[in-house]
Amino acid sequence: MDMACDGRGRALRRCRAAAASVLTAALGAAVALTLSGGCGRREGTADARPVVGVSLLNVANEFIVTIEQAMRARAEELGVRLIVVDGQRSPERQVQQVETFIAQKVGAIILNPCEVEASSPAVEKARAAGVPLVNVNSETQAAPTAFVGSRDEEAARLGMTYIARRLGGTGGVLMMEGYLGQAAQLKRSAGAREVLAQHPGLKLLAAQSAEWDRAKAVTLMENWLQAYGASVRAVFAQNDEMALGALLAVERAGRKNDIVVVGVDAIGDALQAVRDGRLDATVFQDGRGQGRGAVETALRLIRKEPVARETYIPFQLVTRENAETFGRN
Amino acid sequence: MPCPLGKRNRLNPGFRAWGSRMGVVLALLATGLALACLCPQFLSVANLTNVVRQVAINGILAVGVTLVLLTGGVDLSLGSVVALSGVVAAHLAHPGEYPLAVPVLAGVLAGAACGGLNGLVVTRGRVPPFIATLGMMTAARGVALVLSGGRPVSNMGPALTRLAGDWARVPVPALVLAAVALGAAWMLRNTRQGRYLYAVGGNEQAARAAGIGVRGVKFLAYALCGALAGLAGVVLAARITTGQPNAGVAYELDPIAAVVIGGTSLAGGVGGVGGTLLGVLLMGVIGNGLDLLNVSSYYQQIVKGLIIVGAVWFDRQRRSVERE
Amino acid sequence: MILAAKEVSKAFGGAQALRGVSFELAAGEVHALMGENGAGKSTLVKILAGLHAPDAGEVLVRGRPVRLRGPHEALRNGIAMIHQELMPVPGLSVAENLLLGREPRGRLPGTVDRRALRREAVRLLGLLDADLPVDAPMGTLSVAGMQTVEIARALGAAAAAVIMDEPTAALSGREVAALFRVIAALKARGVGIIYITHKMDEVFRVADRITVLRDGCLVRTAPAGELDESRLIALMVGRELSGWRHLATQRPRADAGEPLLVVRGLSRGGAFRDVSFEIRRGEVVGLAGLMGAGRSEVAAALFGLAPAEAGEIRVRGAAVRVRRPSDAMRLGIGMVTEDRRGYGLVPQMAVWQNITLAALPQLCPGPLLRRTAERAAAGEAAARYGIKADGAGQAVRLLSGGNQQKVVIARTLLAQPEIVILDEPTRGIDIGAKAEVHALIAALAAQGRAVLLISSEMPELLRLSDRLLVMRQGGLVAELDPLTVTQEEVLSYAMPVRKA
Repeated sequence: MDMACDGRGRALRRCRAAAASVLTAALGAAVALTLSGGCGRREGTADARPVVGVSLLNVANEFIVTIEQAMRARAEELGVRLIVVDGQRSPERQVQQVETFIAQKVGAIILNPCEVEASSPAVEKARAAGVPLVNVNSETQAAPTAFVGSRDEEAARLGMTYIARRLGGTGGVLMMEGYLGQAAQLKRSAGAREVLAQHPGLKLLAAQSAEWDRAKAVTLMENWLQAYGASVRAVFAQNDEMALGALLAVERAGRKNDIVVVGVDAIGDALQAVRDGRLDATVFQDGRGQGRGAVETALRLIRKEPVARETYIPFQLVTRENAETFGRN
Repeated sequence: MPCPLGKRNRLNPGFRAWGSRMGVVLALLATGLALACLCPQFLSVANLTNVVRQVAINGILAVGVTLVLLTGGVDLSLGSVVALSGVVAAHLAHPGEYPLAVPVLAGVLAGAACGGLNGLVVTRGRVPPFIATLGMMTAARGVALVLSGGRPVSNMGPALTRLAGDWARVPVPALVLAAVALGAAWMLRNTRQGRYLYAVGGNEQAARAAGIGVRGVKFLAYALCGALAGLAGVVLAARITTGQPNAGVAYELDPIAAVVIGGTSLAGGVGGVGGTLLGVLLMGVIGNGLDLLNVSSYYQQIVKGLIIVGAVWFDRQRRSVERE
Repeated sequence: MILAAKEVSKAFGGAQALRGVSFELAAGEVHALMGENGAGKSTLVKILAGLHAPDAGEVLVRGRPVRLRGPHEALRNGIAMIHQELMPVPGLSVAENLLLGREPRGRLPGTVDRRALRREAVRLLGLLDADLPVDAPMGTLSVAGMQTVEIARALGAAAAAVIMDEPTAALSGREVAALFRVIAALKARGVGIIYITHKMDEVFRVADRITVLRDGCLVRTAPAGELDESRLIALMVGRELSGWRHLATQRPRADAGEPLLVVRGLSRGGAFRDVSFEIRRGEVVGLAGLMGAGRSEVAAALFGLAPAEAGEIRVRGAAVRVRRPSDAMRLGIGMVTEDRRGYGLVPQMAVWQNITLAALPQLCPGPLLRRTAERAAAGEAAARYGIKADGAGQAVRLLSGGNQQKVVIARTLLAQPEIVILDEPTRGIDIGAKAEVHALIAALAAQGRAVLLISSEMPELLRLSDRLLVMRQGGLVAELDPLTVTQEEVLSYAMPVRKA
C-alpha cells in the first residue's frame, strides 16, 4: 500500500465521477440517436412534406399497433410525414405530447385518446392553437375537428346479439368488462346491456372487470365457474385478450362444449382461435380502416378541404364461417 | 442469571415468522370462515385448487422479493421482468422446436440477468434500489416490446402449456411455488449467505465491520429475485399460452404487499418466507372470495386495500403490546 | 418531594427487571442512580418518564399518584428525560429544535411566529448561561451542545424533574465542565435531577444523594457524603472488588516480541496525517487524545472501515493493503468498534447469531451453516465473557449496554485475531463489567497478541498500556511510559496548541 501523494486517491475518484457522468450522457444521446433513425438529417434537407403528429394510447396493445401500421402505410402512400409517440395509457402524458406537437408546428394532430375526460385538455389545447385535431378510435369529451372510428356500442350489440341467437334467447351470461371508466368499457357495457334488455330470457349472472388483461381473465373465469357452475352458458368479453383468457379457463374446466365465448376486436390470436373452432365469435373492428381514414382526414384538414365531422368505420361479426376472409389483422 | 445459551432452542428468524404471524393467520382464518359461510362453493376441492393455482405467480414473485426486502432493498421491476421472460420463453416454445427445458431456462436466465443488472447498479453504482429498479421496470418492458414487436407471442407448444396444468390433480404452478418457497426457506435457514441477508438488512455497517461482503450479498438477493421473476413469467406465459409484452403491469405491488403482510420489515433484517406465504394466501383467498361473491370491481379494490392495511396494522399493534 | 416511585415492579418476558423499588426526588437535588448494567436503572427511569408502565406500584408527582401513558404525559406533569442517544432534527435550526412541537403561533392559523420563536430560544439558553448559535443547524453542534439544547428544551416545557441517562458518555473534559455548570443552574432554579452514570469521579462531584440498585432491587439510598468510592462499588457489586484498580501493574510486562503491526506515514484527508507506530506481540499500546484528535479514524483505517489514502501498513513484516474489513480480518486484525449501534450489532438478530457473525467462515467452512458448532462456540464465548441474556435466542437489542458491548467483544475475539483494536471498549458499561474487560485485555496480551487500546478514560489507559501514544489534531505527538507519566502530563500533550 504505497501511495505517492495523499491527494491522488481523491483526485482519481473525482475524475472517475466526472467520467461516469459524461459517459452516461453520451450513452443516452447515442441510444436516442440510433433509435430515432437520424431525424436531424431529414430536417436538415428541408422536408416539404406535410407533418402530422400522432399520439397513441399504448403501443403495447396489439390493436393499436394495427392502427399505427395502417397509418404509417397510408402516410407513405400520401406523402405525409408522421411523428408517432406513445401515450402509455397516461392522459397527462398525451396532453404534453400534443403541446410538443403544437410547439413543433405540425400541420395536424391525430389523437388516439386514453380517456374520455382526462384526455380532453389535449383536444382543447390543439383547438386553442388552431391546429386541426382528429380523434381516432375513441372519443373525448371535448369536440375534436373530426372523429374517425367506430361505435363501441355497436360492437357490443353485435357480440351480445350473437350470444342471444346461439342460446336461443335464454340462459346465464357473464360479462367481462375492460378497465373501469374508459370510454370503450362504458360504451361496450351500454351496448351489451341494451341487447340483454331486449332478451328477458338472458340472465346476466355477473359483470366484473378483468382490466383488458388475459391473465386476469383466466383467474376471474376460474372463479366464476366455481361460483355459477352449470348455469353459465355464455361469456361476453369486451376485448379479445379477455375472451382468450376466459376461453383458456373454460377449456381447462372441460366446459367448452356448453359455454359460448365471444370477444371484440378480432386481433390475430382471436381470429386464429375462431378459425380453429375454439373461440365462437369476435367482432372485427377495422383498425386498418380507422388508421387509413384518420391519416386521410388529417391530410384533408391540412389542405383545408372539407371533411365529414364524424366518420364511422363499420364493425363485422367474425365466426368460423367467415373467419377466412379476415386476414391476420 | 448467567447466560444459558442453547437453553431455549429458538428457531432461525426464517421460520420463526410462522409462529409470530398471528395477525395474518387470524385474518386468513376469519376470511376463510366468512367465505365458507357466505358461499358454499368456497370450500370445494375444485375451488381451493383454483386458489392455489391463482396465487402461484404472485407467490413466486413474493418469495423473490422477500429476499430483496430482507436486505433493506426493494424491487419495482418485477412486473416488467415477468413480461420480458414470458416473451423470451414463448419465442422458444413453438411446437416441436426445443425441449421444454430451453424456454424455461431462457426465461429464468432473462429474469436473472435483469435482477443481476439491478444488483450491479445498486451495489457498484450506489444507485438507490428504488431508482435502479424503477429504471429496470421501464427498460425491461421496452425490451419485451422490442422482442415481440408489440404483439403477443403465440403459437405455444403443448409442452410449456402443461406447466400451467395439473400433475396428479395438483396444479403445477402451485408445485413450482412450493419448491421455490421450500428452497428459499432452506437457504435462509441453512446457508451462510442466508444468514448474511439478515445481517446486511439488519445493520449494513455492522455486517461490513464483521467482514461480510455486503455487495455480494445484495447482488445475490437481486439476482435471485430476478430469476424468480423470470420463473414467474414463464409460468404466466404457460397459463395464458402466450408471451405478452404488456403482461404483468403493476405485478410488483401485490408481492410487496404480501411480503409486508407476512411480517417482513420494509427496513430489512426481519421476516421470512413462511410469513410471505401466509400473506400471499390471504391475498389470494380475498381475491377469489370477492369474485365468488360477485362483489363489484369497484368495491373489490376498496376491500383489498382495507384488508392489506388492516392485517399489517393488527400485527403491529399486537407486537407493540407484546414489547410493552 | 416532586417525583417518587412507590414499590414499583416490572418484568420483561421472564426477566424481573425491578422488584418493589421505591425512589424519591426532592426539588433542587441531584439524585444519582447507580448500579451495574441490568441492575434496573434504565427501567426505573423509563417508568418515571412514562416510557414503561409498571406492573405493580405507582408513580407519584408532587405526592399525587399519576398514570403516565407516554413521554408526552410525563412532560405535561413536569418530567423530562434527556436521552442517552439524542434525537434532534439535524436540518432544523437550534431554535426550531428547542421549541419543536411548542412553536409560538403566528397570526395566520398554521403559521409560526419566527421572531417569537427565536426570542424564546435565546431566553431558554440564557437561563443555562449557554452560548449557542440559535440560528445554526442542529447538525453543526457538538454532542455537548445538543445535550444543552435538550436540557433547555426540558426547561422550556417547565420541567420540575429532569432525568439524565449517562449524559457525559460522549463528552470531552471541557464539555463535562460546561454540563456541570448547566446542572448547577438547574439546581438553583429548584429543578430536581436524576443522574445516571458509571463514572465514580462524576458521582461525587455532582450528586447530593445516591441510590444503588442491584439485580432489580433497591440496595441503599444515602447522602453522597456518607459514601466513598470503594463502599459505593461494594454496594453495586455486592462484594469487595479488591485490587481491581491495579490490575495492569500486576500484569507481568511482556518481553517485547517481534512487531506484529507496523504503520508508517499513514494519512487520510483531514482526519489524520503521517502516523507511524508499531505494536509488538504481547504488547498493549494505548492511544490517548481528545475527541476528534483522529484516534478512531486511525483505527478505522487499520481495520478497513475508512481506508487510508497514503502510507504503509505491515502485518508480520509484509506490506499489506486494507481496503475493507474482510481484508483486515483475513490478515488477523480484529476490531471492537466504538459505535455499538452503528458498526457493532445487528439489533434484531439473536445473541448467538451476533456472536458468530464474523467467525462464520471459520466455524462453517463451505456454504452451509453448522448450527451445532455455531451454538457451541457462541455458548462458550457467552460463558467466557459473562454475557447475561434471557436465552441465547433473545434479540441482541434487548440486552443492556454492557452485555451488548460484551457481545461485540465476543464476536471480535471469536475470529481469533492476532492484532486486536479496541475503540472505547468500556464506554457506557458498569464497573463490574469494566473490570472483566480489563482482565480480558491483559489476558489477550498474555496470549501473545498485539492490542491497540483507544480510551477516553485516562486511568484505564495508564493502567493497561505498556506504551502510551498521544494524538493531537490528526498527528501523533508523543510516546510516553504509562508507569512514570501522570494524567496531567498526558493531557498537556493532548490539548490543542493555540497558534499565535
